[in-house]
Amino acid sequence: MLRLAVLLLVAFMTLPTVVVIAVSFNPTAILSFPPSGFSWRWYVNVLTYPQFQRAMWNSLVVTLGAVAVAMPVGTAAALALARGRRGTSLWSTVLLSPLVVPGVAAGLGFLILGAALGLLRSRVVLIAAHVALVLPFVVRSVWVSARNLDPTLERAAASLGATPWRAFRRVTLPLLRPGLVAALLFAVIVSLNEFVVSLFISTRLTEILPVAMFTYVVNYTDPTIAALSTLFIVVTFVVVWLADRFLDLGGVFLHHRG
Amino acid sequence: MARAVVELVGCTRDYAGVRAVADLDLTVHEGELLSLLGPSGCGKTTTLNLIAGFVPPTAGRVRIDGQDVTERPAHQRGLGMVFQSYALFPHLSVFENVAFGLRERRVPRADIERRVRAALALVRLDARAEHRPSQLSGGMQQRVALARALVYEPRVLLLDEPLAALDKKLREEMRSELREIQRSVGITTVFVTHDQAEALGLSDRIAVMRGGRIEQLGTPREIYERPATRFVAEFIGASSVLRGQATAVDRVRLPGGETVRVVGIDGLREGEAVELAIRPERVRVTGEAADNVVDARVVGVVYQGVQTEVTVEIGGGQRLLVFVPEPVPAALAAGQALRLHLPPTAFMRLNPAPGEAGR
Amino acid sequence: MRLLLTPAVLVVAVFAAALGALLRYSVLEFVPGSLQTGGLTLANFTGIMSRQYLGAVWDTVVLSLATTALTLVASYPVAYLLARTRSARARSILLVLTLAPFFTGAIVRTYAWVLVLGNTVVTWPIPMLFTARGVLVGLVHFSMPTMILLLAAAISHIDPVYERAAASLGASPARVFWRVTLPLSMPGVVSGSVIVFAWTLSAFATPELLGGGRVKMIANVVRDLALDSFNWPGGAAFAVFALAVTLLLLAAVGRLTAGPARSA
Repeated sequence: MLRLAVLLLVAFMTLPTVVVIAVSFNPTAILSFPPSGFSWRWYVNVLTYPQFQRAMWNSLVVTLGAVAVAMPVGTAAALALARGRRGTSLWSTVLLSPLVVPGVAAGLGFLILGAALGLLRSRVVLIAAHVALVLPFVVRSVWVSARNLDPTLERAAASLGATPWRAFRRVTLPLLRPGLVAALLFAVIVSLNEFVVSLFISTRLTEILPVAMFTYVVNYTDPTIAALSTLFIVVTFVVVWLADRFLDLGGVFLHHRG
Repeated sequence: MARAVVELVGCTRDYAGVRAVADLDLTVHEGELLSLLGPSGCGKTTTLNLIAGFVPPTAGRVRIDGQDVTERPAHQRGLGMVFQSYALFPHLSVFENVAFGLRERRVPRADIERRVRAALALVRLDARAEHRPSQLSGGMQQRVALARALVYEPRVLLLDEPLAALDKKLREEMRSELREIQRSVGITTVFVTHDQAEALGLSDRIAVMRGGRIEQLGTPREIYERPATRFVAEFIGASSVLRGQATAVDRVRLPGGETVRVVGIDGLREGEAVELAIRPERVRVTGEAADNVVDARVVGVVYQGVQTEVTVEIGGGQRLLVFVPEPVPAALAAGQALRLHLPPTAFMRLNPAPGEAGR
Repeated sequence: MRLLLTPAVLVVAVFAAALGALLRYSVLEFVPGSLQTGGLTLANFTGIMSRQYLGAVWDTVVLSLATTALTLVASYPVAYLLARTRSARARSILLVLTLAPFFTGAIVRTYAWVLVLGNTVVTWPIPMLFTARGVLVGLVHFSMPTMILLLAAAISHIDPVYERAAASLGASPARVFWRVTLPLSMPGVVSGSVIVFAWTLSAFATPELLGGGRVKMIANVVRDLALDSFNWPGGAAFAVFALAVTLLLLAAVGRLTAGPARSA
């Protein structure tokens, strides 16, 4: 009974993905399922459509920019939280707060702010917004690793003659690696997929891929977006699978019993 | 003989290729308290779960009151169980915990009230009915768990190490209370424990388990005084094992050359090798010559208050443990020579354990 | 500690500045046809209560309630199996299938439903795409991963010995669920429901694409006002309204279940 129900529910959850992937190989512009044949033409369309090329470039720049800022900033903050005694819960609430703000509120806020500063033509506002949205994920992931770190290890390294920087490089950083890898994965995935906030602060020239996709969906009905979505799904699926393989996602989310 | 209430017939249980219980036969009689005793991993908890219906046997049958219940799920077996962690429902009051089984049996409301009160009175917790389990001490929680398992008058009571979570003093108190309640209710009980003192003090019969099999089944006195195997002799109480060779139906020559007389061991055949066990409290340090005296040299001395535990070496390099009651007649020190009297009735003959035969 | 925190606090300060700008605009007078604003006013907030927008607020609340209820019912079995299965492989497969949509962006997920609801797979006996029904399906699908994770976390904290104890007392599997498992998982049920409700209140992509302009939720009104009518003050007031409701709900759930609202 339970297994049957779960099977149906998981089918419900996966159905759209299956449909998207199938439709992306449809040879005609009319959406049909199952596809009436097999064709790569929509993938070719994705890669040759100028607005998508531009959006991919924008996505790359914005995500790399946001991650490059958020990773060191978030790691430093996570270390501070893991070591601090007083005020930890206040600071963690402050740092994680962008998570709970509705996308439209943040988006319109950045739009007004960007307009006031005259920055809407560049990607600066986009990157700043992405840094803020990605930061909570980085802080949380690194924090989990840092919290389990034994502070006497750095002292042990110091007693063996390591400078604080060397102790950090040779002891702390390697031990933080699982947290850092998880943080990087989350940051990249969240930034690449960010849509609502970006919609408010993008122009035709700066818009990132999800915004370009949205515009395309509103205006056209051919399977191009299915092809692009498939690419997104494949990348995400591989990343999540690898993460589960190497990071024990179950351990992050569920309570394990011995 | 009392009638059989629980019967396991040829029960085997495998977990992912590991045999937890191997071809086990066991009968629990009306009104008795039977302990399953053994070290962790011996299969005692799996045996209990087979009776409770939490795990199905890989092979074999389970019968309750002569009825085959092998295919019957746990909730239809009508048993009462006390869990090691008590498993009191944290979201329900003490009253509701005890009433749980009655509600499942659709007992009328008024009867529930009366029977829960009576059960709580039996365990002296009538005043705590409205408390949450988390507000009670470990001993009280244990008693609630017992009341919860008894209130609907189950056919059999299953106890899974119910005293293990209590500290030593409380454990001893609860042990006698548990025994008293079990006697007064007269319920057939299966008790799982790894604590030999608990098993000896509580049980009508003990099944000593090892490697998924019953090593020996008998009354506490039989188990202690006539252990069938070396494992039982060493797991229950302390004992020393001596190897020797029978020279007559009542004589055994020890490797050091001394011959001792043994009484109460049947079937000794001249010339055969035998393993004898002897309890350290039966060995006497003696000055005067009598029969069954061996020479020994002290190897180690551990002072224990009521007694001193002396490890000695006798001829042939065999070691022997001796409990010398305090105050000891003279100071004992390593290297000292002693003469020990081994009473003829103190010897127990060990059968080679099935697991050891092939080693 | 201070030094390490400073850059992160600066980032949050930028974010706060954006919200500050939003807050300020929400009390400024809208000058039609211009991005200039007039003096201080509360007209933007009273505008929310006008007939035209009250419908969107009402639809949002109804859709959010329905989404929460359906998501709860649909997620519980999956979460239960995820938390209770002994097979590591089954858990892994369930987890990946559950998390993958969690990580797939809003647009990809919603577009997939455009295809399914838009008579691509089957021809629906009643219209689905561009209806509240269709939006509801999309919202439930969108909310399930979050709900499943929160419920599974709560269920996995319940010691299975309680379920065994209930069975030993004579409770059938269904009764064990009603009397033991479900009550003990209430913290997860409550926090999951409030979080899903709060998120759905400010859902944007799903109603935008699956509603096709015919189903408007609060976030869609914000977009229309801000990006189509260039009425930033009006949009800001609506956004502040959504923000306030969300924060209130999350504060409530934070009080009910001490712990982070979202597992990263």
